[in-house]
Amino acid sequence: MIHPVDTLLSLVLLSILFSFGSSRLPGLIKALAFQGIIVSVVPLFIGHGVTGEGVLFTSVTLIIRGIAIPLCIYLAIKKVGIKREVEPIIGYNASMLIGLFLILASIFAGKKFNINAIGDVSLLVPTAITVLIGGIYLLIARRNAIAMVLGYIMMENGIYLVGTSFSVRVRHIVEFGILLDVLAGVMIMAVILQNIKQEFDDVDTALLRTLKE
Amino acid sequence: MVEIIILIPLLTGILAFFLPRSPGRQLLVLTGVLHLLLSIFLWAKQPEALLPDYFAITSEGLLSLIVISLLFFMISIYTTTYLKISNYKSEKMFTGSMLMFLATMTMVTLSDHIMVMWIAIEATTLASAPLIFTHKTPSSLEATWKYVLVCSVGIAMALLGSVLITVSMEVANIDAPLSFSALSNVAKGLDPMWLKTGFIFILVGYGTKMGLAPMHTWLPDAHSEAPSPASALLSGVLLNCAYLGIFKTNKIMMAAGLGDFSGAILMVFGLISILAAATFILKQTEYKRLLAYSSIENMGIIAFGTGIGGIGAYGAVLCLIHHSLIKSSLFLTSGNILLGYGSKLIDKTGGLVKRMPKSFVAFFAGFAAISGFPPFGIFIGELFIIIGAFRSGHYTAATLFILSLCVIFAGFANQAMKISFGDSAEAARIEEKITMVWPQYALLLTSLVLTFWIPDTLYQTIVHAVTSISGGF
Repeated sequence: MIHPVDTLLSLVLLSILFSFGSSRLPGLIKALAFQGIIVSVVPLFIGHGVTGEGVLFTSVTLIIRGIAIPLCIYLAIKKVGIKREVEPIIGYNASMLIGLFLILASIFAGKKFNINAIGDVSLLVPTAITVLIGGIYLLIARRNAIAMVLGYIMMENGIYLVGTSFSVRVRHIVEFGILLDVLAGVMIMAVILQNIKQEFDDVDTALLRTLKE
Repeated sequence: MVEIIILIPLLTGILAFFLPRSPGRQLLVLTGVLHLLLSIFLWAKQPEALLPDYFAITSEGLLSLIVISLLFFMISIYTTTYLKISNYKSEKMFTGSMLMFLATMTMVTLSDHIMVMWIAIEATTLASAPLIFTHKTPSSLEATWKYVLVCSVGIAMALLGSVLITVSMEVANIDAPLSFSALSNVAKGLDPMWLKTGFIFILVGYGTKMGLAPMHTWLPDAHSEAPSPASALLSGVLLNCAYLGIFKTNKIMMAAGLGDFSGAILMVFGLISILAAATFILKQTEYKRLLAYSSIENMGIIAFGTGIGGIGAYGAVLCLIHHSLIKSSLFLTSGNILLGYGSKLIDKTGGLVKRMPKSFVAFFAGFAAISGFPPFGIFIGELFIIIGAFRSGHYTAATLFILSLCVIFAGFANQAMKISFGDSAEAARIEEKITMVWPQYALLLTSLVLTFWIPDTLYQTIVHAVTSISGGF
């Protein structure tokens, strides 16, 4: 029988493929918002029953991760009129193929782990690995600074999945830490981005090439 | 009680955003004095923390804390004059961020909880980012972007590592608080596979922040673009804070009996960093970048020494303390050179001995000390590391280590000679303010004194810290 959480997680996997293939920033942001919402809901279904505390943490995470951050980035690119292309270093079709291979490899790797806490949710470990590496991939394979920030957020989504699902006992402090990280990190990045935009009139990181060796 | 030392710079930092320039500068020095006094008090009394789950006084934490305090005090005196001369538009931002940065670093030294440690180290990145951006030039913007992005991703790796350590508890069904001391006590029962994986991620993550190659790419840019007092703080103490994270995790590994595994990895990363620094130092054209690569070298030496353990670990801690004192004094002096010559390029300097004799003394003594000349502490530290490496039978590694040190010395000496005695376009003497020279002298003198005479309490603390990661000499 397919565990209901597995259905949710397969949607996360789809969102990764979608984000690899999307050429425009708004699409990428939507994919990440969707991913953020699902990722913050998943821990609620794993491990122990639903508690008031758990629901509170989930809803706060959901609002910040799934709504506030994507909305802020979306409004920011609208306001300052940043170019909508994500400027890929590796093309979209190749990225999709890499994404598919990544999912396969993660499923293979996931078989090696056996953790009691997650019970029979077979897709959890593969999804966590895929989201994590997928985020790193976006960081490497896109030159647009906002796409890189989105890659960073995706990576944090992956860590969130690992943290909240595997370590049940210390869940809340981990959640709190990650939330703080994403919030502060994205805020600082946004400030720098605004300055980059003012200075160079673009957010293509290819322009940031003076300090190299 | 312990937490007050974190709160004071945090509050004065917030206050500094609202104060006019001159009181802001005074506040910087005042906080420096208060912080130093409180650190000495903590050292002497070692009181309990209000939140014992999250904060605790440890020997390695105390060592880092006292170094941070002393350095910040000296740097704050220098900074007041430096700010007067440079006249930044965003000076409030600068002083405020300096103080916040101090608060976050203090939090790192006192945190005993794995997640709090991680939050504190992440906070240091966020607090120091505005410092690098002070000049508001395109290149400083690039350096800040690189710093925030590379370090955030690195720190995220460390977060994953911390989470994996909690997984190792979960798998082994152990219920303990997530503090370093509690984990060291139950380390034997933790699941070794997850613990090892966690350690690797933590090493890569905090190693990024510490400037270990190949994750060091942000470091030369950030150190060269930040104003000199900020570079001195970044290089002198921020790198130590990141090292502290690795040190404490290594402690758990030692307690779990996985010391050989963690030691080998630390040695490899250490050697790569030293080799990378040796390659890049030879062709540097900017003196601040030169100093930055020297920091990468020294962090490599420290990681290498820690990996060897025993007397090598003792050498590593010596190098850590002396590197902080000497490198921050060098970065402060580089600020004098920048103000005097108006360029970061080595070719545009020259004749330092005639044009800025006081800064020359600080620069040349600092150069001799950092490249491991006797009678400075780095020499002794490196000697201990080499002895430790030979004793434990790592002959190839020790040979590589010595060879790279020679190459780095040659490269550094070449550039230092150019700056000190090379031809300069002009010959006129450049005015040097007294408050912009004697903090460097004081730092170098402290290093010199500590080489010959280590107070007993300091010695005991170092030995206590080292024993926990190497089981004695």
